[in-house]
Amino acid sequence: MNKLIFFIAGILLISSVYALGITPARTTLDFKESLKVNVDFEVINSGNKNMNVVFSVQGELSDYIKLPIKEASFLASDRSKTFTYEINLPEELSPGLHTAEVFIMEIPSGQDIGATQVLATLAVVTQLHIYVPYPGKYANAKMVVYNANQGEDILFVFPIVSAGEFDLTSVRANVEIFNNMGEKIDSFTTPTMSVLSGEKKEIVYKWKADVPIGNYRAVAGLVYDEGLINLEEFFTVGSKELELKEITAKGFRLGEIAKLEMLVENKWSEPISGVYIETKIKNDKGNIMSVFQSPSQNIDALSKQFFASYWDTAGVRVGTYETEVSINYADKSSKNNLKFRVDENELTILGLGYVISTDKGGGTDTIIVVLIIAIVLLILINLLWFFLFRKRLKINKK
Amino acid sequence: MKNLYKIDIVIVTISLMLLIFLVGYMRPLVIAPLDSHETTESEILFSIEKADILLIDDNYDFTTPNEYPLKDGLKINLEPGKYYWKAKGIVESEVRTLTIISEVNFELWEIDDVNYGVFNAGNVRLNVDVYNGTEFVGSKKIEVKKNLSLSGDKFVGGMDE
Repeated sequence: MNKLIFFIAGILLISSVYALGITPARTTLDFKESLKVNVDFEVINSGNKNMNVVFSVQGELSDYIKLPIKEASFLASDRSKTFTYEINLPEELSPGLHTAEVFIMEIPSGQDIGATQVLATLAVVTQLHIYVPYPGKYANAKMVVYNANQGEDILFVFPIVSAGEFDLTSVRANVEIFNNMGEKIDSFTTPTMSVLSGEKKEIVYKWKADVPIGNYRAVAGLVYDEGLINLEEFFTVGSKELELKEITAKGFRLGEIAKLEMLVENKWSEPISGVYIETKIKNDKGNIMSVFQSPSQNIDALSKQFFASYWDTAGVRVGTYETEVSINYADKSSKNNLKFRVDENELTILGLGYVISTDKGGGTDTIIVVLIIAIVLLILINLLWFFLFRKRLKINKK
Repeated sequence: MKNLYKIDIVIVTISLMLLIFLVGYMRPLVIAPLDSHETTESEILFSIEKADILLIDDNYDFTTPNEYPLKDGLKINLEPGKYYWKAKGIVESEVRTLTIISEVNFELWEIDDVNYGVFNAGNVRLNVDVYNGTEFVGSKKIEVKKNLSLSGDKFVGGMDE
């Protein structure tokens, strides 16, 4: 924090700084035989000063890049200027990534800038990445596993890039799950999908974590047409170790100091130390009007513990307040968004254990749904009556 | 009898029109950002009515979307890249795209004779190559909106891998 204040103060003391920018930072293209294309980039004069810049190219693709101009001038009033470089690719390049860098360097002037004199040189780079497809079929893939609580779904995501010349017609993953003893506890195969050449797709699989709380290892074989990619990832069941179960405020009286008793459950198989709860109560504009903390305590493994917090309600009016209750421990924080409904002699906590839906327009939505159902029913009855009536008329005529 | 048919057709037609209007009325009203919006600003303001949740994903199929409960003045920080997004209420809105263009931007100020402060004012992690004269001293990485003190007299900033 002190470093940040020192940094801000440092910047404020200096009346001006050297600054330079460029966008985009990177341009990515797929290789095409003898590709000719112009790429625009914008140099940003973020220092708002007169300056001269020079352009140059480096990197393995530099022979295929042409800069129409070698230097340019900026006035202090020029916020930015757009330039272009030309790409003229050869007929053939080896498969994989090929790069080049276009440098924009400010020519040092050594002029006084307010209280200080900057003699350093500044340069920015816009990168060019060209991806050349691999021969045949080729896939790049990784595995991302999202932790969840016991009994919930663990999400397995496999982002796949078809980096070969041809489409991948059949991609799937065979996954085996091991516990921390190295024992295989489950396995599954994801659905199969196809990925067109040059495209990126994701295989998503939900695995029900009906297993004990702890750390696990997933070993996957991603099988595509003619290839196999081995992947491994660690994940945790029950990562949200602490859960807010209940808040009670016995003998609440508006205007006095209220004692809030918060029940927290440790779902982890180990004790957790240094736990405290911070409560932030917001006014109707969303600004924090009151913050209070509980003393810090330790919670034994797989047990529940009460935390007491005290809220001075002097000056607080009757109403409903958005409230953020955070359970903090180590470098982690688990947030619960609740609503405190304050009455003269009662404090009601809304939203524990479920997501609070927005009240805004909720009534209208229900009316609309009922209306639609009613109209559909009426139309159906009407049509039924219409055809029956017609049929009966025809029979009568006969 | 013909009149009865006509009345009936009119009633059914009006009911259908009312139904179409109601379905249209329920569809989330997506005000901002516009479709195919491109910007270098990382913080995006979403303005949506008649919806509860905003879904953002990097693929059109929304296989692993990030969900944000909608509220007034909802601003979301996004890294450079192309995103697909839609709003969800009773029915879903159309899918729109949004592109955050990468930007390298850095500021430099003199701390003393040999040290300079470098601040990453862009929207990507910065890799700064530091030189002393023509000699390459080393590379440093600076996170977005962070600063670092570096020794050298030439600083080349580019997007980190």
